[in-house]
Amino acid sequence: MKLFAKYNRVNIVATVVVLLIGGICYYLILHFVLLKQLDNDLNAEEQEIKNYILLNHLLPVPTNTKEQEIIFKESTSALKRKIESKKIYKKEDDEYELCRILFFPVNVSGKNYNVYISQSQEATEDLMQLIASITLGLVLLLLFILFIVNRFILNKLWHPFNTTLAKLKEFDINQNQKLQLNTTNIDEFIDLNYAVSKMNDSVVRDYTALKSFTENASHEIQTPLAIVNTKLELLIQSENFTAAQMQNIQTIHNEINRLSKLNKSLLLLTKIDNHQFEEKEEVDIVKIITTLLNNYEELFTAKRINLFKEMETTVFILMNETMAQVLISNLITNAIKHNIDNGTINIFLNKTFLLITNTGTALQNYPANMFERFKKDKVHSDSLGLGLSIVKKICDLYNFSVNYEYANNIHSIKIVF
Amino acid sequence: MKILIIEDEKALSDSITTYLKGQDYICEVAKDFNTALEKTALFDYDCILLDLTLPGGNGLTLLKELKANNKTDGVLIISAKNSLDDKVTALTLGADDYLSKPFHLSELNARIGAIIRRKQFAGSNILKFNSINIDTTCKTAEVNKKNLELTKKEFELLLYFIINKKKVISKNAIAEHLWGDDMEGSLDFIYTHIKNLRKKLMEADNIDYIKSIYGMGYKFTDQ
Repeated sequence: MKLFAKYNRVNIVATVVVLLIGGICYYLILHFVLLKQLDNDLNAEEQEIKNYILLNHLLPVPTNTKEQEIIFKESTSALKRKIESKKIYKKEDDEYELCRILFFPVNVSGKNYNVYISQSQEATEDLMQLIASITLGLVLLLLFILFIVNRFILNKLWHPFNTTLAKLKEFDINQNQKLQLNTTNIDEFIDLNYAVSKMNDSVVRDYTALKSFTENASHEIQTPLAIVNTKLELLIQSENFTAAQMQNIQTIHNEINRLSKLNKSLLLLTKIDNHQFEEKEEVDIVKIITTLLNNYEELFTAKRINLFKEMETTVFILMNETMAQVLISNLITNAIKHNIDNGTINIFLNKTFLLITNTGTALQNYPANMFERFKKDKVHSDSLGLGLSIVKKICDLYNFSVNYEYANNIHSIKIVF
Repeated sequence: MKILIIEDEKALSDSITTYLKGQDYICEVAKDFNTALEKTALFDYDCILLDLTLPGGNGLTLLKELKANNKTDGVLIISAKNSLDDKVTALTLGADDYLSKPFHLSELNARIGAIIRRKQFAGSNILKFNSINIDTTCKTAEVNKKNLELTKKEFELLLYFIINKKKVISKNAIAEHLWGDDMEGSLDFIYTHIKNLRKKLMEADNIDYIKSIYGMGYKFTDQ
């Protein structure tokens, strides 16, 4: 819910409740005052009749008008004096009309009479209705004006907040730009901007520190690796080793190599995580696949792998070129590495998907874990177990979907662009 | 051929010096920024190996300095950073090549050789080893003046062997040089590849130059 809607809801409900209570009180008071007025008229009339009787010992001749009617009725029992509102049938209008009626007993020369004085309440009611509708009109007008004013004022008041929010949404930590917030003279927004800037500064600082830490850590690891590697290379130049010693040296050399590749792959994953491959261009996927296949030709020959490819002539995908290279090279080397002798690799490429299938033995790991780091098939323990998580990471980066399937000794990985 | 190694890790510069000396290079070492600046100002080198992180200054600053002084020395950046930004910056500033740590000495030697060949405008692009002549520009190889039919990869392998002649080259170094560093796992396919090259050389000259050193690697030698 928008803040404005929420505020309006509360505001309108409160206004309506207050106006309703006010309206009811107003109505009741007005009603009371007008009835009092009528009653005063009736009392005055009563007094006039009583005075007349006292003076003349006769009933006065009733002077009936449209508004007022006086009736004398002879009665044996004297009624109690009473004022009430009642609907009375009027012949001339053929309808019931609300009237204020006063009865009181009088005694004229020993005879008891009941006097009814009725005054029409119609005029009062009309007045009340008029007042009520004017009030209602005012309430509606007030609500409308409140709504408009609130909308305008709220928008204006929240403007600094909205600008700050828009700038935050635009902000990209990889762009190396400082977050510039507009100045405002509202204390709350000054506070907000201050807090946001402070937080942003610390985020940028931490991010830069983390980035340089990753780089530095890799630097610190690569240099000793380089030293060990080069020393080993010098060591193997002297051929005075026995076969067994050479075997040990070779194992050390291989493991150092694996360690450097592991380090490079982890660094690559970190870099993708840190969005360090933001530049995009239309990458020629066909060209990348063709070049890689040419490069790996000897590997195909060595394993006697049959290659079938079905590619559209041009497929351009908007992504980072390095990422495209890494992605496809990982998929192809994977298909070669986990293949069997005399196996097959099929590559299908069109504008919507890339499908690479290869023959191979069934995996021991559950396929759902396929793209996790270091989840690897036990048969090929010499692989790093990072290839497919790099593939997944790159696909996530560009919102490509990636799926693995295994059926009838065929592994297939499909990437939908 | 004079090489300047600008590298603060003594163990590493020692290894490089030892390896390159066997390849008839004269090596000098500069351990920090100021020494490097001094040496490059005073002398000319055929190739400078430049580490980017140095005590006393950044390697890129040194590179800028070299280019500002119109030095024509070839520059090979050796950096542990392997960050794309640094690589692009270094190459834009006029470095000839970029090699990230850790590297194989044989690979380093091959890169230095390529830079020096490129720098020698008047010099020949022919590498010789006994009866074998390699033309690095036309990418052709001859044995006893007779053209040797090689695939692209076989040519690269032969070139790599001749540049690193009489040195044991590990299988890992060969695999990375020929197929890039995504190669992991079994390197058995190299054996087939070596076998093919050896067969072609044997047919042409009847001498087996490629010596297998246990399971470790290979050595190209006439001894």
